[in-house]
Amino acid sequence: MSNQDNYIQADNATNESPYIIKVEHVGKVFGTNTVLTDINFNVKSGEVICIIGSSGSGKSTLLRCVNKFETATSGAIYYHGEDINKIKNFPLFRTKVGMVFQSFNLFNNMDVLKNCTIGQTKVLHRKKEEAKANAIKYLDLVGMSAYVNARPNQLSGGQKQRVAIARALAMEPEVLLFDEPTSALDPEMVGEVLDIMRNLAKSGLTMLVVTHEMGFARDVASRVLFMDKGVIVEDDTPENIFTNPKEDRTKEFLKRVL
Amino acid sequence: MNFFEVIENIITNYWSWILKGIGMTLLVSIVGTIVGLIIGLVIGVIRTISVDKSNKLAYVFKKFINFLIGVYVEIFRGTPMMVQAMVIFWGYAYLSGGNTLDVTLSALFIVSINTGAYMAEIVRGGIISIDKGQFEGAEAIGMNHFQTMLYVVIPQVMRNILPSVCNEFIINIKDTSVLNVIGFAELFYVTNTIVLKNYQTFITYLFTAVIYFVLTFGISRILLLIEKKLAGKKNYVVLGSGNMDAESIALENNREN
Ligand SMILES: Nc1ncnc2c1ncn2[C@@H]1O[C@H](COP(=O)(O)OP(=O)(O)O)[C@@H](O)[C@H]1O
Ligand SMILES: [Mg+2]
Repeated sequence: MSNQDNYIQADNATNESPYIIKVEHVGKVFGTNTVLTDINFNVKSGEVICIIGSSGSGKSTLLRCVNKFETATSGAIYYHGEDINKIKNFPLFRTKVGMVFQSFNLFNNMDVLKNCTIGQTKVLHRKKEEAKANAIKYLDLVGMSAYVNARPNQLSGGQKQRVAIARALAMEPEVLLFDEPTSALDPEMVGEVLDIMRNLAKSGLTMLVVTHEMGFARDVASRVLFMDKGVIVEDDTPENIFTNPKEDRTKEFLKRVL
Repeated sequence: MNFFEVIENIITNYWSWILKGIGMTLLVSIVGTIVGLIIGLVIGVIRTISVDKSNKLAYVFKKFINFLIGVYVEIFRGTPMMVQAMVIFWGYAYLSGGNTLDVTLSALFIVSINTGAYMAEIVRGGIISIDKGQFEGAEAIGMNHFQTMLYVVIPQVMRNILPSVCNEFIINIKDTSVLNVIGFAELFYVTNTIVLKNYQTFITYLFTAVIYFVLTFGISRILLLIEKKLAGKKNYVVLGSGNMDAESIALENNREN
């Protein structure tokens, strides 16, 4: 076990790549349907990258390629310089590249606390007490520590998403991927989740966020990727994307959503 | 002898046989249902392993395993258990040159693999009904397939399929009567033996019918109570709307425990 830990840490320490994630010429084809074409971008430690674009443009697929829920059909994705298709300790990679879903995906058969400890005890082999203390720390951070005994179906959407974020954080990820974390929420609950994400960004967590919340992208992102029809049309600072977009497709999209 | 004298005669002379018969029927039904359920769950876990197409060897191997599972399920669901019992019991004797298997072990084996074939389909339906997000939630925190199934999926599947599993148990209580063909002394076999002594076919079988009915009816009521308990508020979506404050949830959950 400690060997496995050292393995990643040693890898971090000696890594030649300044990027946590490096996406090179990635393409994804489902059957005859080309969903991603020649995607290139990097994620550095502490960056918050927001991915925007209309529905069906391939944002979720791209995110899912990064944590290997999907396998890219061409190109390569590197985690600290290591091809994610050849990673030796795959479960550990998954804990390092966490994911928060639109539909929360809390485990229905467990209470809030168990949701946040099961991965720690079973995947990271932490002691029960340690896992519990850690879970409560992160539940506190998202303002949900009073709900440790609640079942997912007893919570509101906003509360569920906050627990889902705590569950992901409890694994101590290096990067957290968010796939439209507020899209399934009632409008009055969007704010509570975005606030937490803002705080996480401020605390230096590296984040890759697919979102329709343009305000969040503008205020929080260090970079914004605009995607259309499976390609990254523009990759720039939020100032440039929102006030001075270069591409016509970006302008059209922003005109529609702003 | 009139009707009641026959009944009295059965009870006073053969009560120990009948109790043993009931015991054997329950034993083989309970063990068969539990082992069958385990077979079904193991098959469910194997069937849901996803193998990357890029790994040719693993992919072909997985297809082959799926094929074998399919053959097993179809054969055992598509032939009568009575025939399965004869083929397995006498097949062993034939192939081993005259040795016979222990009858009780054979009975347990036959009911288990027969029930396993039905359970495999019940479990498959149960797994399909689980939201894909439950699998992804588990995989996103690094769980492997086995952990995902064991900690997240199977517990939810169990709750969903519990009524069907209980139903299989009730069916087994009745259908294990066919095991008399290999000489397994369950309730039907015992009844037959009593009839050979008292020549009261109708009354003796009527008596046995009542026993079977009491068993199945009584057990199905008990199982229904258990199901209700397990499917209580704590596990089921009844509050749904969310938006409860922490104290009322804590209260609600404490009351149930
Ligand atoms: N598993 C899949 N199989 C086939 N097609 C898919 C699959 N997942 C996504 N797609 C297709 O890929 C395209 C992009 O989808 P997606 O990545 O979900 O876009 P977005 O998240 O930007 O809305 C869509 O046309 C969708 O139908
Ligand atoms: Mg999407």
